[in-house]
Amino acid sequence: MTTHTDPPEGTRADGDDERLPCGRPLSQVWDDWERQVSDPHSATCPHCRHAVRDLEQLETAVAGLREETPETSAYDAEPLTRRVMDLVRLELRPGRPLPLGEPAEDLWIMETVAARALRSAAESVEGVSAGSCRIVDADGPAAGVEVRLDIHAPAHVGLQELAERVRRRVREAADRELGMVIASVDIRVTDLVDSGAENREGDTA
Amino acid sequence: MAGARRLTAPPDAGHDTGDTLLVVRAAEGDEDAFAALVQGHAPVLIRLATRLLGTVAEAEDAVQDAFLSAWRRLPEFHGQASFATWMYRIVTNRCLNVLRARRPVVPLEAAGEMPAAEHATSPARITEARDAVRELREALDLLSAEQRACWVLRELDGRSYEFIADAVGISQEAVRARVFRARRCLTQALGAWR
Amino acid sequence: MSASMPSAAQAVLIEDVARVVEGVPGVAFLKPGLAARLRSALGRAGAGTGGPSTAGVRLTPGPHAAAGWHVDVQVVVVRQARAVEVARAVRRAVEQDLAVRFPGRPGSRVTVTITGQV
Repeated sequence: MTTHTDPPEGTRADGDDERLPCGRPLSQVWDDWERQVSDPHSATCPHCRHAVRDLEQLETAVAGLREETPETSAYDAEPLTRRVMDLVRLELRPGRPLPLGEPAEDLWIMETVAARALRSAAESVEGVSAGSCRIVDADGPAAGVEVRLDIHAPAHVGLQELAERVRRRVREAADRELGMVIASVDIRVTDLVDSGAENREGDTA
Repeated sequence: MAGARRLTAPPDAGHDTGDTLLVVRAAEGDEDAFAALVQGHAPVLIRLATRLLGTVAEAEDAVQDAFLSAWRRLPEFHGQASFATWMYRIVTNRCLNVLRARRPVVPLEAAGEMPAAEHATSPARITEARDAVRELREALDLLSAEQRACWVLRELDGRSYEFIADAVGISQEAVRARVFRARRCLTQALGAWR
Repeated sequence: MSASMPSAAQAVLIEDVARVVEGVPGVAFLKPGLAARLRSALGRAGAGTGGPSTAGVRLTPGPHAAAGWHVDVQVVVVRQARAVEVARAVRRAVEQDLAVRFPGRPGSRVTVTITGQV
C-alpha cells in the first residue's frame, strides 16, 4: 500500500530545516510570513527578506496556477452524475421486502420503493420535506406495517394539525398507490423551516 | 498581493440544511436523493481532484470512484461530519492513492522535459509569468504524494492546517512539515532559491 | 440447488413465464439482471431485443414431480397502477399459464415482489 511515504508522522517541521546566515530557521521566517507577523529583525534582515521574496515569487506562480482551474460553476456535473448513478444502480444493495395486500398473500414490495411513494405523499403537504422513512413489518397481532417518518415542517404552522395532514396523505398513498396495509404512522418533526426564507443559502451568519 | 492570505472558507458554506435530508434518504437507498447530492457536490470535488492530480480526466475518474464508495458506505455514515467534509476526505484519499501509485515518476533531470498535459498548446507569446506557472505545474511532480496533497489543499484550495490534517488523516504538525518541504522544493525548482 | 428438470427445458419455461409477466398490464418490466443493467449502463444498443430479461424470474420445482412449482417473480411496475393489483394480476397470470402447461400438476406457488416503480 505504501510505496512512497514521508518520514513518520510527528517529524518536526524543522527536521530538514535550514538556518539562514542570520541564524533564523527558514521554516520560522516562512511561517511568520504566512501568519503575517513581523518583528524588527525580519523587517530589516536581508537574509530573511530574501527568503520571503522567494516564497512570494512562488506565491505569484501559485496564484496563476490557481486561476487555471476553471470556476466550479463552469463545470457541467450532469454527465458525471449520470455515470455515477449508472454504477450505483448496478450495486445490488440488499433491501427488505414488506408485505403487500392481505397478510398471507405472498406479495411483496421493497422498502425503498414503498418509502419513496410515502415520502412523496408527505411532501404533497405544502412546506413539508421528508427525510428518513422506515417501514417495519409489525410482528404483533395487528395487521400491517408501521411507518416512521421524519419531516421538516414549516415554522408558524400548527404542528399537531400538520402531522395529522401528513399522516392522512401517507395512509391514502399507501392504500391507493401501493395497497399496503398500514398499522400506524409515526410522524417526527426533526426541524422547523422558516417558510419565509426557504433558500437561506448565503445569508448564514 | 502575494502576501495577503485568502480566507479559508468553511467547506460546507450554504450546503448543509438541504443536505441533511438528502443524506438520510440516500443512506436509506433513495437513488434520486443520492443523484442530487452527486450533482450538487461534484463541481467542488472535481476542482479539488483536478488540482491534486493535474488533469480533469483523472479527476473525474477519482471523483466517480469516491462517490461510488460513498454510496456503499452511506448506511454507516451517521453525519459526524457534514457530507461535504466527508466527501472531501474520500476524494483526497482517493487522489492520494492515485498519486502514490504514480510514483516514482520523473527523475529530477527529466522534469524540464515533461510534456504539460492539457496545456500543450501554449500561445506563441509566452510571458514570463506564464512560464513560471508552467514550471510550477511541472515541479509539482517532484513532490511526494503526501507533500503534494498537503500543499495543494493549503495553497490552491486555501484550507486551514486543521482542516487538512483531518482530511488527510495526519497531525497538524505533520501537515505543516509537508507544506514546508513542498514550498522549499518548489522554490528551489523555480530557480528562485539560492 | 439444481433442478430436477433439464436446464434447457427449464430455461425455455422461465422465458415463457417472463413473457407472460411482461404482458400483464401495469408491469413496466422484469427486474433487470446484471447483464442487462450493464448493457444499459454502458449505453449499448440492443437492450430489449431478444425477448424479456429473465433475471426477475426464478423457478423451483416442488419437492417431487407431483408437487407444484414455486415461482419467484420480481417486477418493476408503472406508478399509475396500484402496486398490489399489479402483483395480484402477475400471480394470476403465472398460475394460469403453468396450469395450462402442466395440467397434471397441483397448483403452483407464486411469490411476487415489486422492486421498483417507474
